[in-house]
Amino acid sequence: MRKSNTVFHLALQRLRYHRSRTLLTGIAILLTTMLLMAIGTVAVAMLDMNRQMAFDSDYHAIFKNLTPDQSTVLSHHIQVEALSTTEKFADIQNGKMNGALIYQESVRDNRYADREEGPMAPQLESGHYPEAEDEICSSPTFFRRIGTEPAVGGKVTLSFRVDGKGEIQTKEFTISGLFPDMEIDEGIDDSRIMWSAHVSKALLTGYKEKGLYQPELSVYLRVYGEEDLTYDEMEDRINAVAADIGLAQPEENVILNKQYIFFVTDPDTETMMIAGVICLIVILFSALVIYSIYYVGVITDVQEIGKLRALGASGRQIAGMLYCQGAIVSAFAIPTGLLIGFLLTWFLFPLVLYAYRASTLTSIARDAADALFGQIHMFSLPVLLTVAAAVAVTVCLSLLKPIRMARRISPVEAIRYQENSTDKKTRKGHRQVKVFTLTFANLTRNKRRTAVTILTMGLSCVLFICVSSVLSSVSAEDMARRNIEKGDFRISLKYNNHDAEYPENNLDSLVQKNYFNDTFLAQLTSIEGVEFVERRYGRILSSTEIESALYDACENRLSLSYFTRDDVPELNANLKQGSIDYDRMTANRELLFTHEYTFNQYGLSIGDVFPLTLYDGDRKIPFTASLTALSESESIDLPFLIMTEDTWNELGLSYDPTTDIYLYVKEAQYDSVKEALTEIVAKNEYFTLYSMDVEMRFGRAQVGLTIYPVYLLLALIAVIGFINLINTMITSIVTRKKELGILQAIGLSDRQLVRMLSGEGLVFTAGTLLISLTLGNLCGYLFFLWAKEYQFMSISRYHYPLWESVGLVLVLLGGQFLITRLISKKMEKENLIDRIRDNA
Amino acid sequence: MKKQSDIILETQDLCKYYGAGDNLVKAVDHIDLQIRQGEFVSIVGKSGSGKSTLLHMLGALDNPTSGKVFLDGENIASLKTDNLSKIRRRKIGFIFQAYNLIPSLNVWENIVLPLGLDGKPLDEAFIEDIVETLGLTEKKRSLPNTLSGGQQQRCAIARAIAAKPSIILADEPTGNLDTKTGDEVMALLKASAKKYGQTLVVITHNEEIAQMADRTIMLADGQILSDGKSSPTSNEAEEVDDHAEI
Repeated sequence: MRKSNTVFHLALQRLRYHRSRTLLTGIAILLTTMLLMAIGTVAVAMLDMNRQMAFDSDYHAIFKNLTPDQSTVLSHHIQVEALSTTEKFADIQNGKMNGALIYQESVRDNRYADREEGPMAPQLESGHYPEAEDEICSSPTFFRRIGTEPAVGGKVTLSFRVDGKGEIQTKEFTISGLFPDMEIDEGIDDSRIMWSAHVSKALLTGYKEKGLYQPELSVYLRVYGEEDLTYDEMEDRINAVAADIGLAQPEENVILNKQYIFFVTDPDTETMMIAGVICLIVILFSALVIYSIYYVGVITDVQEIGKLRALGASGRQIAGMLYCQGAIVSAFAIPTGLLIGFLLTWFLFPLVLYAYRASTLTSIARDAADALFGQIHMFSLPVLLTVAAAVAVTVCLSLLKPIRMARRISPVEAIRYQENSTDKKTRKGHRQVKVFTLTFANLTRNKRRTAVTILTMGLSCVLFICVSSVLSSVSAEDMARRNIEKGDFRISLKYNNHDAEYPENNLDSLVQKNYFNDTFLAQLTSIEGVEFVERRYGRILSSTEIESALYDACENRLSLSYFTRDDVPELNANLKQGSIDYDRMTANRELLFTHEYTFNQYGLSIGDVFPLTLYDGDRKIPFTASLTALSESESIDLPFLIMTEDTWNELGLSYDPTTDIYLYVKEAQYDSVKEALTEIVAKNEYFTLYSMDVEMRFGRAQVGLTIYPVYLLLALIAVIGFINLINTMITSIVTRKKELGILQAIGLSDRQLVRMLSGEGLVFTAGTLLISLTLGNLCGYLFFLWAKEYQFMSISRYHYPLWESVGLVLVLLGGQFLITRLISKKMEKENLIDRIRDNA
Repeated sequence: MKKQSDIILETQDLCKYYGAGDNLVKAVDHIDLQIRQGEFVSIVGKSGSGKSTLLHMLGALDNPTSGKVFLDGENIASLKTDNLSKIRRRKIGFIFQAYNLIPSLNVWENIVLPLGLDGKPLDEAFIEDIVETLGLTEKKRSLPNTLSGGQQQRCAIARAIAAKPSIILADEPTGNLDTKTGDEVMALLKASAKKYGQTLVVITHNEEIAQMADRTIMLADGQILSDGKSSPTSNEAEEVDDHAEI
């Protein structure tokens, strides 16, 4: 027989002989490959899905507040690939409907030379874009909601206010075209949707000529180079274009379509770094799993290698044999892992789309989800090859250990080799030996092995906690809470600050009506199911006589509110400038500013003094205050300027300044309360009702697309990680079968065995938890910060993954308890003598 | 002649079979045996004669296919695993050819391990005495992998004696040792057993060791071929005893 055949034959025989170890190693390699492949495939699928979805809004940026000249320069800019202008002509005045009449024009689209309207302007299903002065087009649902049959050529009468100012105009329009239908789920109020209808250039020109309309131009643009540039380079290019045309206040007037740019460009260095770190964690974790399985079996290997060397095997042959063993196991495990990892995602990913589809609110989003079924590209050869290579390299690296150990010592010593990671010859020990002593003696015998096992188990949990941190921060409720800060419903007073034409709509007039009086609140409280009603911090308007860019930007009317002593810690935690001392601020009538960006935008600084006039209904209160702090809290919804509650009370307001009230209701009567509230709110044109169920649906629709694939990923990590964890635990027990047999031979009872193994398991569990809850949370928080920066899944607030952590603790404790029981039961069935003789 | 009540270990029609049909191996085949308190019995026989299997069943490490094993009058073949564990740590001391010390524990801890498992208070003076008798005083804190073969086997002997078991079962205790060390270990084992009044059953290939015993049982094909008094030369016996007492 040739030498290489002997080595191969030997490797094969060893694999057969150490069946349980071969199986465990094979499973570890398979699971690791599966996990890596599944993660890779989900990532490829997610990217592709987002790429496809992102094409619905394929512009790179919006430039706001352009002058017509800037718009003209932009249309000829060499870097601009496509450009469409949008003008918001008027606000629609139709009950509580929230909408605008807009004019949109595709100025240039070099991608579609043969098409007049590129995808940057929505495609019509029938008819044409408005041309004549009285033409209008929108979605059929819009027309239905305002009570007109949606048909091209049909007539519709609309009231509107040009530029949101001036008198309300009423005009009859002819429907010139219809967009694809966008059914919106019942139960979503008109006021919660931003409706838009397109009008003609002729209409706008008419108003411009009469001096009734000052256009405020916005443009949607695409720049060249999305195929070649990175995210950062695209951002630089867009900002350079804005600078070239002299766009004022680019921080505010340039709005990047971050999600689209993110998915179409090459990842920038930061993204690459984060993706790299995640991949490294996965690979490191996988490497450790495989390594630890080889490592715990190292004694047997060293002894056997010693015997083979004594028989004349060269170091090279030994290495060849071990590599051959690794290669044989890998040859089965890696392709199987790749296949299962891919198939798992391939079968499960459509479920993600089902889940997303269920969360959508409009028929268009549903159609988009439907269109994606079976269209998502998941296979990536580079991913497959990288995974296979990463696992193969890991297996090779894991095999180096026994080879090195066996080479370091003489064959005879190798035969007698007993595992001991230190060169210690003695051990202080205990006078008496208990089960507890045995547990710790074993754990400390080879500290490195114990550490490797804990690290292996810990890292799989780190990955889980890391992803959980982001997922728990993606909260539909967070988004819902942006509109309903507390409770289940919010009734909000819709008011203007300074409407010269209709002053009755201004807050100072509305407060005189005292809509949120005690009788009204009592009426609400009397609805069956309402637990209690709470007023939000009131607001009053203020103006100033001095020159102030801030007040100028708001037509010299800015609302003002207050903060309580209880809010101070939260405000202090987010303090950006100045200092907050409640008593000092009360004594000196100081003000706090709540928005950093606006603070900087209008050149404010700490110490600015504002001589103000406060509008308490028809009463004017002079109030001079200095600005002494800047703090930006996301959890307290406040206007820009706030004073202390005590200062507020000193104002002695004559009218109730409440603009919003919150209602807490019993869960069982939520629907009936909503019905009653809808009826009440409908009677008052100034009231808007926000209900938690609708806000939650908005929230879910907003996060649905990206959150479900991540849930799938988390489930895969959890399942595969847990199996790996079990594998690691089983390995650490099975490889000590002989030693455990000896202990039993000298009198260790089954119960004591379970106690001993449970003790070890507890230490592993505690170590694992320590790693996963420290490193995991740290990584999770960093991941969250990254996600927030890129507006990934609209994350804004960090939530600690409490339930996931509790689940992890329970699963770990339960898992180790179960495994210990199962293994000791299995051992009971095996003959003690066989175990003592066991060499596997 | 000892009385019947002195019998500490007894087998009745003891069988241990492996496999079935043509592959049936009768490792132990209908063995009836009685061993008295304090007796030193050697079991000899060729490889595969069933010596170790018999010893494992005597020591409650293995279950018989049929038959009974009485230890102190109690049939241990019918006991549950937890009770067997108790018997192993209280009544039996086992010495293996491969020493089988626990590598993570030092010499002292290995010796007191059966006592700890039984939750018995430690008779430190007694253990110190054993340690001294077996010449391990200097090695109490050493880890097993730092000891020579002879020292490891002496540690295993100390462990077997520590719980003051009625019986010590030794499976080729000198099999891994050179002649000099083997003799030394065997003399110590015999002396210790005598000192503490324990019954000693030793499996051996070594004729000299067999002759040191009060009685030698010869096995062949799982059956007792002969069972008789050993006849060591009186000089040899005395020499060994003297040596042990040193």
